[in-house]
Amino acid sequence: MSDPSSINGGCAVAMVGKDCIAIACDLRLGNQSLSLANNFEKVFPFGDKTFLGLTGLASDVLTLKEDFRLKHNLYKLREEREIEPETLANLVSSSLYERRFGPYFVGPIVAGLHSKTNKPFICGFDLIGCIDFAKDFIVSGTASDQLYGMCESLYEPDLEPEDLFETISQALLNAVDRDALSGWGAVVYIVTKDKVVKRVLRTRQD
Amino acid sequence: MAGLSFDNYQRNQYICAKGHAQPKATSTGTTIVGCKFNGGVVIAADTRATAGNIVADKNCEKLHRLAPRIWCAGAGTAADTEMVTQLIALNLELHGMWNDRQPRVITALTMLKQHLFKYQGHLGAYLICAGVDPTGAHLMSVQAHGSTDIGEYQSLGSGSLAAMAVLETKWKPNMTRDEAVLLCAEAIESGIWNDLGSGSNVDVCVMEVGKDAELLRNYLTPNVRAPKERSYKFPRGTTAILRESIREIVDVEETVIEFNKPEAMEVDA
Amino acid sequence: MTTIASEYGNENNSVPIEHRFNPYSDNGGTVLGIAGEDFAILAGDTRIVSGYNIDSRYEPKVFDVGDNIVMTANGFAADGAALIDRFKSAFKWYKFDNNNKKLTIQSAARYIQHLLYGKRFFPFYVSTLIAGLDEEGKGAVYSYDPVGSYEREQCRAGGAAASLIMPFLDNQVNFKNQFEPGSDGRVKKPLRYLSLEEVLALVRDAFTSATERHIQVGDGLEVLIVTKDGIKKVYYPLKRD
Repeated sequence: MSDPSSINGGCAVAMVGKDCIAIACDLRLGNQSLSLANNFEKVFPFGDKTFLGLTGLASDVLTLKEDFRLKHNLYKLREEREIEPETLANLVSSSLYERRFGPYFVGPIVAGLHSKTNKPFICGFDLIGCIDFAKDFIVSGTASDQLYGMCESLYEPDLEPEDLFETISQALLNAVDRDALSGWGAVVYIVTKDKVVKRVLRTRQD
Repeated sequence: MAGLSFDNYQRNQYICAKGHAQPKATSTGTTIVGCKFNGGVVIAADTRATAGNIVADKNCEKLHRLAPRIWCAGAGTAADTEMVTQLIALNLELHGMWNDRQPRVITALTMLKQHLFKYQGHLGAYLICAGVDPTGAHLMSVQAHGSTDIGEYQSLGSGSLAAMAVLETKWKPNMTRDEAVLLCAEAIESGIWNDLGSGSNVDVCVMEVGKDAELLRNYLTPNVRAPKERSYKFPRGTTAILRESIREIVDVEETVIEFNKPEAMEVDA
Repeated sequence: MTTIASEYGNENNSVPIEHRFNPYSDNGGTVLGIAGEDFAILAGDTRIVSGYNIDSRYEPKVFDVGDNIVMTANGFAADGAALIDRFKSAFKWYKFDNNNKKLTIQSAARYIQHLLYGKRFFPFYVSTLIAGLDEEGKGAVYSYDPVGSYEREQCRAGGAAASLIMPFLDNQVNFKNQFEPGSDGRVKKPLRYLSLEEVLALVRDAFTSATERHIQVGDGLEVLIVTKDGIKKVYYPLKRD
């Protein structure tokens, strides 16, 4: 249990809907079984319609969040445009593989819409940057087993944004309730071509 | 900047010294095979990627392009097979441009084995490398430590025994293209059914002398999920929400309208 | 001193290799029990694995142990079989000694606790489930840890893919985290007994989902249905990859 990627706990999940995507995470930060904070968000925006979820060792989550913020800013200065989700995915992958023999203990996920075509894109990574391109959903974190079970049974393709919200929320909520290291609140982002809705969910507090 | 960074190595040693193992990287449990035929070579792979006992990706791509007519099937640590393959593909492209020649399979193999040997097996890449070049069709394999093999038919990965069982019973010399494709697909299927590390679909890549390589992505799909008994769509409003914030994304268009623009001054020539 | 040639992360930790007989192994598989109003079911996949190998594609592990009680013990297959054998044998003696008295499910449940705790310091490496009808005729499922701590529940998943299936059951059987639409998250979705058809649909979807994402689950799904009229067995094929 003192595996570095499950010291602090926490999980994240992303799903594709009809012309939309959703990305969600829990809010817990803990030290082993001792919960420390209920406001530790693990999903970060990169531009208008692209999001990066980071689970794992909290210090690495924060380090990488800042590292990618820096790289994103440099990208914007050089290219004078927003980063596409596919591009961010490759940036994450090569940044993680650079540390092949001394990795960050994280499980990142990327979700977003293409800035021009609004085509949905999601993907996940292992800690050394192997990309998992999926058409349906991506899970990560200490509740990943539970999330796989929930998503595999609840998910169906082409859900409208409001239905996708219910599906991803129920998947996350019921998964974290069966994981001792996740929970303590949750946030969900629903991203459509002209709107980003952020919802904070009511969850169990144990 | 260039090369790999070992900045976190000591830190991780310290963290792991107190705890147990490193977190698991996705490995492509995998069955991969290759087989030569009259006038070409074919390689094939399954499409399951695992993290422990969990299927991380049901339809991943294990066939990598090193050059337009040299392809490579990868088993082992997924990130290593992907990255080592991309690196060699890049160097092969440069090598081809510098020498103004089409890259050869033996060149790809040599670059791969020298790279892998340099890393003393720490890059967990097990590859079947095949292709056609001006010297004909070739089929070779590389192990993570840098040793290589050449043969008429090969298999690698956790399903290699299941696949080799098929190859050993059904392989014969001087096969046609179609026979070779069928044999490889059957060998992969043997891995899919009988090895837990392998599953889902069969990808095939055919390389024929004098022709473009042909990637048959999802050549067989024997594992389509049956429809569910019912839909699990929830009525809207089922989930309890504490707060909501909405960010509208609007395009701001700017048009400059100028009033009383003075006429350009006339200048006498 | 020998250096274990493995992950770079451990390369400095030179430790002598310890050789020891390991009496346990993991044979994979998953089981699931749900209690209805006047029925109960116990379901299990029929695959037996060792390592990356499939040892059997059809090895039933849910058994009718008599007096309308069904039982399964999932985990280390040899221990599972041994536990069920011990229960069946004890069941015969109970009938013989007590003038064929019917064994109630709560008595069976308590007896299994003693079978498991009897091996407290060399446990049966299994998660055990039994299902049947209680004295009022209502469906009952009892679940155990390897050393005999037990509890009566509406539903329980056990084995390799338990972590995948259990949250789904919380959500779809006990309606956890579901609220009445329009109630602003204040009124819980009311609990109700599921019909046998609904339960079978849930079980099949739970197992097809587990088959997709867990490599040790697959091949076949065998469900034993307990009603007052006796025990019915149904079989559904699962994916074999």
